[in-house]
Amino acid sequence: MHPAEIWIFRFVFLAFIGAFGVQIATRLRLFLRASNNIRVPDGESGVRIWRVAREVILQSRTIAERPLVGLAHLGVFWGFCAFALFTTVEFLRGLGVADLTATAWFATYALLLVPFALAVLVGITGLIIRRVFVRPPALGTSVSKESVLIGFFIITLMVTFLLDFTLTEGVAARVNWWVHELVILSFIVVIPGSKHFHLLVSPITVYLRSSDLATVPNLDFEREQVGLETLKDVERKQVLDAFTCVECGRCQVNCPAHATGKLLNPKTLILQNEDALLAGRMDATLADIFEATALWQCTTCGACEHHCPVGVEHLPLVIGARRGLVSNGDAPDVLGAVYNHLERRGNIWGLGADQRQKFVQAAGLEIFDSAKHEYLMWLGCAGSFEADFQKSLRSLFEILRARGITFGVLAKERCTGDVAKRTGNEYQFQELARANIEDFRAAGVRKILTSCPHCLRTIGVDYQEFGFAVEVVHSSVLVAAITRDVSVPVTSQVTFHDPCYLGRYSGHTEEPRTLLQRFGASISEPARHGANPFCCGAGGGLLFEEHEEGKRISQERFEQLQATGAATIVTACPFCSIMLKGAQASANSAVEFVDLMTFVEGRLKTVQ
Amino acid sequence: MILVIAEQQGGTLNRTSLETIAAAQQTGSEVKVAVPGADVSAVAAVLAAAQVAEVLCVQAPALEAYTLDGYVAALAQVVQDERPDHVFLPHTYLTRDFAPALAVRLGMALVTDCVGVRWQDGALIAARPMFQGRLLADVATSGPALVTFQIGAVRADSLVGGGAPAPMRTVTVAIDAGAIRQKPEAPFREARQAVDLTQAERIVSVGRGIKEQDKVEMARQLAAAIGAELGASRPICDLGWLPMDRQVGSSGQTVAPKLYLALGISGAIQHLVGMKGARTIVAINKDPEAPIFEVADYGIVGDLFDIVPAMLKELQG
Repeated sequence: MHPAEIWIFRFVFLAFIGAFGVQIATRLRLFLRASNNIRVPDGESGVRIWRVAREVILQSRTIAERPLVGLAHLGVFWGFCAFALFTTVEFLRGLGVADLTATAWFATYALLLVPFALAVLVGITGLIIRRVFVRPPALGTSVSKESVLIGFFIITLMVTFLLDFTLTEGVAARVNWWVHELVILSFIVVIPGSKHFHLLVSPITVYLRSSDLATVPNLDFEREQVGLETLKDVERKQVLDAFTCVECGRCQVNCPAHATGKLLNPKTLILQNEDALLAGRMDATLADIFEATALWQCTTCGACEHHCPVGVEHLPLVIGARRGLVSNGDAPDVLGAVYNHLERRGNIWGLGADQRQKFVQAAGLEIFDSAKHEYLMWLGCAGSFEADFQKSLRSLFEILRARGITFGVLAKERCTGDVAKRTGNEYQFQELARANIEDFRAAGVRKILTSCPHCLRTIGVDYQEFGFAVEVVHSSVLVAAITRDVSVPVTSQVTFHDPCYLGRYSGHTEEPRTLLQRFGASISEPARHGANPFCCGAGGGLLFEEHEEGKRISQERFEQLQATGAATIVTACPFCSIMLKGAQASANSAVEFVDLMTFVEGRLKTVQ
Repeated sequence: MILVIAEQQGGTLNRTSLETIAAAQQTGSEVKVAVPGADVSAVAAVLAAAQVAEVLCVQAPALEAYTLDGYVAALAQVVQDERPDHVFLPHTYLTRDFAPALAVRLGMALVTDCVGVRWQDGALIAARPMFQGRLLADVATSGPALVTFQIGAVRADSLVGGGAPAPMRTVTVAIDAGAIRQKPEAPFREARQAVDLTQAERIVSVGRGIKEQDKVEMARQLAAAIGAELGASRPICDLGWLPMDRQVGSSGQTVAPKLYLALGISGAIQHLVGMKGARTIVAINKDPEAPIFEVADYGIVGDLFDIVPAMLKELQG
């Protein structure tokens, strides 16, 4: 290269990299000033590195639900990685540091890059066509000019690279080279301020994502933590999430609130966070930035987090913001009544303990004795007070007795605090949790059995932060394990509604199906099932909110289940059952509901 | 002598005053009753039917509408003139507003929300609940005190009536109307619903068992026949068969009527929580397994289209 060219390149390089650096500095500052909530639990780093290998290098999540798009992206991504050395070598040449372009290994390397370049071209062209012409709803209503620009940058880079094989000398060659370098440098400048920042941030956020959905650590009241009130309070992982979001819209498309016409849109939430951070609105309240209405429409189903390919955790942001609101007395009125019930009577409906006692006696339950009983049967609020769910529990008790499993109940129960935790009433949650854990320890409990997926998650996962870790199992899992010897011919056609807190949260999608098939049911699945169910609408405190914007989530889900054509809907969660039966009542339909345990017990009797 | 401050608004006696008079009678002391207002002669006549020594009509034009300053000024004068051993009041919203200021003005102790009083060595001991009713505390005062009584703690029907009406005396109090800092406005009634089921003594409620919109009329007739309000479970309101302000449930209205008649209501917990406070629950449902039967005092397992017309015939015939 001509010396003048090299000096010009040095100047241009410095200018562009400087512009890049300034933007990085701004974002780094935003990151560093936020409070540090980043914690990788001991022994998890290995698991997480393996996760990065699968999700980043192999692009498992982007390919999972959108195979063609995912593969196109894989081509572009691997091309990028492959070209890294090429870019470096050309920079070194341009800066006049070293010219390795004439070496033999570089020539071979360049040839090996050709299939990558072609893969990138095919991939990026497909993606541009999808964005501009196909216009999937997940990408929003208007076409992102920035994305199209980047797309053309990438095409230009590959084309100039391929042209370089034919243009070896002369002005055309130099122009080609400069175009290539200028486009790369422009790309680098655009990265921090666009969704392409994920190139740098997403391996970090994928690594830092918690292993459990909705990991929202306890507030430390000694240090006067009250939750997230203003943008100042947003924590480091949430700042990273704001920058890593690729605006793919998987969260939006799977969100039940968004699907039923509500204000809440998880993608918008993350982008609002980003916009506010970059605009420096540090004193703005989160209620203003996200709109409190939207924050209270979340059922905490976890679909958003579950689908995000770049490790964004939406729920800590929503629940954190709810905590900030509740700390200032700003919970919706219906929740105020629930909190009163929890405080005065220790259950979500404010019913008297004598009612639970009546059920305990009527069902012939024994009081838990660690010397006699293997399992503590945890009834939960629904098990203690809700007549329909109690029927399913009676079925469970029959199954357990038939199979010789010993179990007892606590003399008195109080709510696990699930609703308090998910709606941001952290103080009440911790009070309930500590009191429950004391009771468990005093009773010498080693294994807990429950039929409520919310209790399953709260006791099994959230209580661990208090140092309480025993085996907590859902009835479907235990019953599946103790009935392996049974097989009943198929006699009924059902559909199964996966509870979010059993399937998506706790990973148990197989056991209920195993049970159903083993006991003679053929299952018709709705489109949203298994690890990606559509919420019934009860979570996040929304059980109590009877006035919904848009369409009722429970009604939407009920229609989805009805559309499978099955005559029977099987549920495995008391709240799903309440919501879906409510939807059925309002829809004036005759489809039958049965709880999984009642289904199993009915057929178990026929084979005994 | 115990002075009871009775309460009236717009010429209507607040009947909790009678409970307070009963509480005063039960101490065995002489009882006088004072009632403030602009013209309280009608109310005073009702109070005079009780066995009390005297009824004082504490009157001034400035007392037409309730104001904190007006009442404190008037009642302070009365208490200073009458010099009772103690002053009893019902623990109403009004009392909660003016009693503290009155106590400070008079330099007297104030013991609130009491459920009972007794004498011990000549001193009055007032019992009041603490910590949301988990403990009952005995509060002893030295000297005359203002004591307010929890509504319902003393039964109004334990009031002893007098043979002849008690003497009534008008006490005109001088109040500087210009010194009253509060400006009362028209009474505010939360007009969110046209129907207030929480005030209804009887409710006939329909659920999905009613099957069709025009069958709701049958329930309406039954409600009219027994002087009840019409209520509904959520599905009925969702379908638009009855307006939302008739919904009984955890986020509809929470009701505690004397009689709740549930027609074709299964008793899902969201509904139950809204009506479990009812004194007597009667349920009619075809499904013997319906959860409503767990809380019903009287239950009929049967077809409401047979039962309700039969009930109507009995009631109207």
